[in-house]
Amino acid sequence: MSRALVAIRGVSQRFGTDGAGVAALDGIDLEIPDGQFAAVVGPSGCGKSTLLSLVAGLRQPSRGTVLCDGEPITAPMPRKVGMIFQEANLLPWLSALENVAFPLKLRRVAKAERLPAARRMLALTGLSGFEDRLPHQLSGGMKQRVAIARGLVQDPAVLLMDEPFASLDEQTRMVLGDELLRIWSETRKTVLFVTHSLNEAVYLADRVIVLSARPGRIVDDVAVDLPRPRTFTMSAGERFGALKDRIWQHIKHAERP
Amino acid sequence: MRRHERLIVAAASLALFALWEGLARLGLVDPSLAPAPSVVAAALVRLAGRPEVLASLGVTAWEVAAAFLLATPLGLGLGFLLAEVPALGALFRPLVNFLFGVPKSIFLPVFILVFGVSIPQKIAFGVFTTIFVLIVGGIAAVQSVPPELITVSRAYGASRAQIAREIYLPAMAPILLESARLGMVFNITAVLLCEIYGARDGIGYRIASWGENLQMPQLYAALVIVAAAAVAVNEALRAVESRLGAWRERA
Repeated sequence: MSRALVAIRGVSQRFGTDGAGVAALDGIDLEIPDGQFAAVVGPSGCGKSTLLSLVAGLRQPSRGTVLCDGEPITAPMPRKVGMIFQEANLLPWLSALENVAFPLKLRRVAKAERLPAARRMLALTGLSGFEDRLPHQLSGGMKQRVAIARGLVQDPAVLLMDEPFASLDEQTRMVLGDELLRIWSETRKTVLFVTHSLNEAVYLADRVIVLSARPGRIVDDVAVDLPRPRTFTMSAGERFGALKDRIWQHIKHAERP
Repeated sequence: MRRHERLIVAAASLALFALWEGLARLGLVDPSLAPAPSVVAAALVRLAGRPEVLASLGVTAWEVAAAFLLATPLGLGLGFLLAEVPALGALFRPLVNFLFGVPKSIFLPVFILVFGVSIPQKIAFGVFTTIFVLIVGGIAAVQSVPPELITVSRAYGASRAQIAREIYLPAMAPILLESARLGMVFNITAVLLCEIYGARDGIGYRIASWGENLQMPQLYAALVIVAAAAVAVNEALRAVESRLGAWRERA
């Protein structure tokens, strides 16, 4: 828990040609140590997802650099970084097992090797017995578990999660949150978790990074000093409320419904 | 269909044929216009044994197959191009949509002028009639590929070739096959129309001449053969389509 596994240095992002377009991020400096669970919150449209797509290597920043393990990210680095999206985005023609194995298939790992690996990941995410189901035969929560298993199958050091539970109902979200914490404590990944939900951010993370309205700047960096393992009763506690309130003070002025 | 539904359909069809047979035998319908099914069946057996009829079927099958094999890759390829190259799409899609809606049969005299009454003319007209279905199908197939699956694959390090093979191809397969099947229906219609309109051989040519000579049993027997062949091709394509498209949520 010392070395910065993900380092974002002086990153700005503009969309559109010749800097004439919209500024999404402005001067972001951020270091995430190895093994940390960091949540990113901020008002709608503040560039949270853009930040993740930069770390995923899906786009290049207009200015600044993004480093993973000391190496500049110029393209997706699937062996180091696993990405989980708001929608499960499973390939509908592949079974749950084949979906989890898909990143390995892209790397031409032999079937005899990739399918057992995928099976282990499905077991880790609690989906043993559902290997042969097609995505449309799974519930929303199960699909997202498959997506998490797919994100973990290459054993990446970093897990990027872009509002992964936002399209699930509240109960499923809570169950999956606890599952995620269990998986995280077993695998000790570095997690960068974008969310709309302050509850979710404080409940899951070691640290909550608060972005301002567009263009996104870091306005606060809150260390969540709640003990682990986290429990549901903590979320009714005073400390939990105080942390949430501190974050909310930054966001409420920016949200104009 | 469930089992009892199949039984009902079979029974209804049989009843219809029995009614037709009865009406024809009783002289209540004109047998020179609607010969009894038993007469048609006898004609069918006779036709199936005549080499020149089989040769005509072969000519038609060759024209249909050639037109299909030319039109399918060409049409789908053009469709992909129009979908993937925005400038070309903007330029040509209005024209394609316009021609898609125009009845192609009005162009048949032009094809006779250009190619003469010949087998290439049948094939060319088949291609011309079919290709618009396939262009439009090709465009629809490309547009049916979910962009978020491409993003996911890119995040997991997929190359362009891998995205084409692992995402585009399986995502488009059901619509591609559906377009091919629809195209085939248009194609068969076009080739038969050509043959009936003017030809030296082919089953359409035979149908036209039997019709002119009021040889109704032969005419109906030929219709049965053509219908059976068309349904067989259609169902074969549909079987492949539903196998490759089983992941779609219509189960």
